Amino acid sequence: MIHSIIKRDGRIVLYDQNKIAAAILRALEAASEGDAADAARVANAVQSALQAQFRETPPNIEDIQDQVEKQLMNHGFNNAAKAYILYRANRTRAREANTSLMKTIDEITNIDARASDMKRDNANIDGNTAMGSMLQIGSAGAKAYNEMYLLRPEHAQAYREGDIHIHDFDFYSLTTTCCQIDILKLFHGGFSTGHGYLREPKSIQSYAALAAIAIQSNQNDQHGGQSIPNFDYAMAEGVAKTYRKAFARTLANAVEDFLDQEDLAERVRKIVVQAETEAGEGPKLENYTQFDPAMNANLCRALCLTESDAARLIARARRRAWRITEADTFQAMEGFVHNLNTMHSRAGAQTPFSSINYGTDASAEGRMVIRNILLALDAGLGHGETCIFPIHIFKVKEGVNYNAEDPNYDLFRLSCKVSARRLFPNYVFLDAPYNLQYYVPGRPETEVATMGCRTRVMGNVYDPTRQIAYSRGNLSFTSINLPRLALESQGDEKVFYEKLENMLNLVAQQLLDRFEIQAGKHVYNFPFLMGQNVWLDADKLTVQDDLREVLKHGTLSIGFIGLAETLTALYGAHHGESAAMQEKGLAIVSFMRKFCDQISQAHKMNFTLLATPAEGLAGRFIRMDQKRYGKMPGITDREYYTNSFHIPVWYPISAYDKIRLEAPYHALCNAGHISYVELDGDTAKNVEAFEAVVRWMHDAGVGYGSINHPVDRDPVCGYVGVIGDVCPRCGRREGDRIPADRIDELRKLYPEMPAFQGIQ
Amino acid sequence: MTMKQANEKLGQGVGFERIRRITGYLVGTMDKWNDAKRAEERDRVKHGLK
Repeated sequence: MIHSIIKRDGRIVLYDQNKIAAAILRALEAASEGDAADAARVANAVQSALQAQFRETPPNIEDIQDQVEKQLMNHGFNNAAKAYILYRANRTRAREANTSLMKTIDEITNIDARASDMKRDNANIDGNTAMGSMLQIGSAGAKAYNEMYLLRPEHAQAYREGDIHIHDFDFYSLTTTCCQIDILKLFHGGFSTGHGYLREPKSIQSYAALAAIAIQSNQNDQHGGQSIPNFDYAMAEGVAKTYRKAFARTLANAVEDFLDQEDLAERVRKIVVQAETEAGEGPKLENYTQFDPAMNANLCRALCLTESDAARLIARARRRAWRITEADTFQAMEGFVHNLNTMHSRAGAQTPFSSINYGTDASAEGRMVIRNILLALDAGLGHGETCIFPIHIFKVKEGVNYNAEDPNYDLFRLSCKVSARRLFPNYVFLDAPYNLQYYVPGRPETEVATMGCRTRVMGNVYDPTRQIAYSRGNLSFTSINLPRLALESQGDEKVFYEKLENMLNLVAQQLLDRFEIQAGKHVYNFPFLMGQNVWLDADKLTVQDDLREVLKHGTLSIGFIGLAETLTALYGAHHGESAAMQEKGLAIVSFMRKFCDQISQAHKMNFTLLATPAEGLAGRFIRMDQKRYGKMPGITDREYYTNSFHIPVWYPISAYDKIRLEAPYHALCNAGHISYVELDGDTAKNVEAFEAVVRWMHDAGVGYGSINHPVDRDPVCGYVGVIGDVCPRCGRREGDRIPADRIDELRKLYPEMPAFQGIQ
Repeated sequence: MTMKQANEKLGQGVGFERIRRITGYLVGTMDKWNDAKRAEERDRVKHGLK
């Protein structure tokens, strides 16, 4: 007789046949076979078999489950037996996941981030801090749950084994990636952060401060970075408001001085308002043809001035107001940059990932914004540090800022100078044909903007009347391990394409599954993104509505990594090495793009092709492939797969050729793309050379590009530039101290030198 | 610590910050990069302007 059994943890407990019968009944029900009486019969058979088998020692759980499988089959319940086996396998996987989850949490808790690659997966989360660790523990738990309960088994397997990478997998069930925040729409009439209501801002300082708050608020609703597509156009309104106030004030001062009177401020303000009403426009930085005559007439009438005296006072007020506004704008931009580098989101674990796009607003106000944000970026942080956030993106457009005769050409030049020192801005090229097709002059929402990292949202299959950058973003993305497919195909091109098509179908289905979860959310799940109408058409939603329809404005993106290694595996060389390989590379990427376009039409949703970045992910894939295939030269012999369609970083090639070869892939990767050129420090300092590279990118049809060059800093003397072994300013080597007498000398030469605790 | 003592030690053990761009983002220093990203950065070659 069986009296007891051994549990998995080794404890011995009483044998209970009812539990076995219940488990068998569940399997029968799952397979739509048999009933409770059948379950009891099978359970009896299990018990008899166990009694025969275990006379001395009690059976353990696995023994019992083996018998259940066997007896289900003996009784002809083959489908139920299958269901039971599947159930057992899932439970085993869940237990293993639990164990591995605990191990992961143990690593997060006990190991220094410097020694843990896992803890450095996201470089902007400090895995050594309390909040950073808490975020990582939550993330590990969510991943374990999502894999176990939310993924189809075939998706879970593909993810686990490194055929695909599901990005931001920890947020699988929770939110979407990112959004281009139309900051003007948000500001008009004011908005709420969820913790308090903010009135419509009235000066450039408030515009800039609220822009940072908007990014921070939205970052708490989504898992990706956040971007402002219209930074110049939006901040220009703040500049206009500051100028208007400054003009009324400086005019009052000028009038008071001229008439040798005090207390005229309120009276002059009313005269300005009267002039505004008559002219139908307020004082602006430029083009004040309506306002000035009205202002002059009203000033003369109200204060008995001559026309020429009034004109002189107005001109003086204008000059002073301009200076005040310029200074306020610089301070506002400096504050904005400082805010975005110091403020925290996500329980304090992260600085918000933020991007701003600008460059095309040619109004005097817009130009003032662009000039000053560039100057603030150039100035750096408190000790002259290079700002990590926001990512600055300069929009390049012929007729606006690309040619010498264009109104903002001077600002484009300034951007090159700043980028040559500070690595930002990056450049987005509105003249590339696939960007130009959306461009409508005078409608900034039709200008392509990027999320900084690279994500781009423009085309709209769901609603072709809304092909705009504003108020939209990516919903989720999953990347394909392209070299794996090539290695599995063993040089057979036909097999490779079959495998690729299967994988594309698998990823599309997985993205749709994830969309189903996202679509079931409500406005209250996104108090800022949806509650404040940041997302397109969110204002049409009621409390009861789910987000399905409005989310369709976003994109589902299929990414890929390692085109270079794929080509080498299939054909023996990569696309930097020959024109034939470039053709093969373009064929593969075109195939993927065509798939995305077709499935977009089939679902009337925006499936787009992404040139995946993420060297971290590239490391994950290649480690698994090295285990399977060993270190194959040019394919798996490094620690990372090459970023998307890039020419490998280690391959010697000229800047011009790299741009020329990578540009055609930008046209194909409509979910986002970026090309880098690496310059040495001296070349980067040469603004002419720097600008030439940007112009090559523009002319070659690159969509988004940036120029990398070393930016080093000695925190002791504050020097920013290229540092080899020895700091060119203070002459010390890394880790060495500066001779005491050298410090005073240096401080005289460089007053901006950082101050240190205990020294001043 | 007196000002004199502090001055004598200024810089001792302090490394240089090396800011690089990876996956579109800048990162303050490379301490927090994962191994694959560090390897990629190490392998990069400069591109000449012809």
